[in-house]
Amino acid sequence: MRDPFKYIFIWPAFLVVLMVGLFPLIYSLTVSFMSMRLVPPRPPRFVGLENYVDLLASDRFWDTIGTTLFVVIVSVTIQYVVGFAVALALHAKVPGERLFRVVFLFPMLMAPIAVALVGRMLFHSTVGPVNHFFTFLGFPNLPFLTDADWAIATIIAVEVWQWTPFVILLMLAGLQSLPQDVYEAADLENASAWQKFWGITFPMLLPVSAAVVFIRIIEAFKIMDTVFVLTGGGPGTSTETLTLFAYQEGFKKFNLGYTSALSFLFLLTVILFGIVYLVLIRPQVEKRI
Amino acid sequence: MSIRRPIVFFLCLFWALITLFPLYWTVITAFKPPPAVNRGPTYLPFIDFQPTLQAWIDAFSGIRGDFWQPLWNSTVIGISATVLSVALGSMAAYALARYEFRVKLGAGLVFFGLALGGYLLFHYPLEFSRAQAMGLAFLVALPSCLIANRLPLPGPILGNKDVLFWFVSQRAFPPIVTAFSLYLMYSEIGREGLRLLDTYLGMVLCYTAFSIPIVVWLMRDFFAALPVEVEEAALVDDVPRWRIFIEIVCPMAAPGLIATSLITLAFVWNEFLFALLLTTSRWQTLPILLSGQNSYRGDEWWAISVAALFAIIPMMVVAMVLARLMRSGLTIGGIR
Repeated sequence: MRDPFKYIFIWPAFLVVLMVGLFPLIYSLTVSFMSMRLVPPRPPRFVGLENYVDLLASDRFWDTIGTTLFVVIVSVTIQYVVGFAVALALHAKVPGERLFRVVFLFPMLMAPIAVALVGRMLFHSTVGPVNHFFTFLGFPNLPFLTDADWAIATIIAVEVWQWTPFVILLMLAGLQSLPQDVYEAADLENASAWQKFWGITFPMLLPVSAAVVFIRIIEAFKIMDTVFVLTGGGPGTSTETLTLFAYQEGFKKFNLGYTSALSFLFLLTVILFGIVYLVLIRPQVEKRI
Repeated sequence: MSIRRPIVFFLCLFWALITLFPLYWTVITAFKPPPAVNRGPTYLPFIDFQPTLQAWIDAFSGIRGDFWQPLWNSTVIGISATVLSVALGSMAAYALARYEFRVKLGAGLVFFGLALGGYLLFHYPLEFSRAQAMGLAFLVALPSCLIANRLPLPGPILGNKDVLFWFVSQRAFPPIVTAFSLYLMYSEIGREGLRLLDTYLGMVLCYTAFSIPIVVWLMRDFFAALPVEVEEAALVDDVPRWRIFIEIVCPMAAPGLIATSLITLAFVWNEFLFALLLTTSRWQTLPILLSGQNSYRGDEWWAISVAALFAIIPMMVVAMVLARLMRSGLTIGGIR
């Protein structure tokens, strides 16, 4: 099997990804140990771990980690619960299933920037229909985008709106791949729908669930577009996420060494969180199989 | 079962309404005259307000900034990056599906060590510029890594699954890490005379590189699902591999190729962070235009809605085609 062809096929893709992916990484890794500013321009200087130490000592860094983790955990949990519920409903062959499926594809193909703009419009304090609706129900005018807690809630709502369909689609695929005979056996035993769900469906879908939640967590960590447009990180820096923080430091202050260090700490956070998640979930998944 | 059915239906309907309402709102707002927006929410055309085409006329005549340039940029960059990444990515995916690869972990480490060490060596003591040092380090690291792979190195040997994982893991990186490094790299290369920031080449290169992992991941499943017999028969007849790939395999995997292209196109079309960092004016894409609508011009919601629809409508068409493909039995990475 010494076919030269296999190399001709894989090398172009491999090289492009390697060059655009790895080399910038090496560069910014070296920059992260330097003090390097473009404004005001100063000659770069090796400072060792100073950037990292500064970051780890700054409250703003821990605040953004807190905000990001909060948004990730809450929004992915809601997406999973709602998405799974809707997938179960669709799987029960509701009328109009085809139409629902097309509709559920829309949000995830839309530009997050456009989604966030529409969100700003919907949650606007005077011209937005959401506040209109709540006032109609007797609530006071709610500060969706200007109060720190409400702003986080709004960001989570927009995230849930956009990404629940992703969970729906994948869980639906999982449901359709389940063997039917287990359910027939359960029917013979007169198992209730509730028992069937917790006894069969949920445990058998656990590997799919674990994968779906993992993908969503990784993606949710990257959140930037939505926050950028919805609140710009404000009020103050109360809704600032990691990506936005890095962007502000790098492109408003042109503090390159600091930003590079920040992005590597970010990478580390994601890897740590991913490992914790996998360690927690793996025994569960393996136990059930 | 019969009592539960309506509940289930209403759950779906409820979520569908939640999904559709923002879209409905954007569409009607795009046709609202300014007073109908600013007075407070209005819901029904012709009853609550008189629809007008003014916002669209303004957009097309360029009163509110140039729409055509970003639209053109998004289209050209999107199509080029999609074609390139699907072509390169599916070739790699096919190789991963049909051949066996063995890479020594040691060789990978040799590559990384030499690339990092070589860069530092060439840049600092030898005083090459950063971009040159990087190019030289690459030229040293790559052959050494290939030679190292032939040597009897200790350590685990990586197979196809690990190569695939390497591709996919590129997508798991927080994009700000790569986007920011890429910005630094592009400006370094720019100092050598090859402009990559805010150019067609730079944007297509970066989007191609970041789409290839998705393409490899999706297409490998499609290729692996194809029957090998046809290809084996062709091999016996001495048909060259590249012709088998182009004339037999690709047509068989056509639905998969179309779906993968659409997903890639959607990714490139919607991407914001890279475009924000790597473009300044000439090659700005639609998402950048959209984010600017918000901050520079105040809240002219009718115009913002028109701009948002420019970005949304093509992707709606994509969604409908994808839904059609899925209905006809296509599975995308396990999604049916």
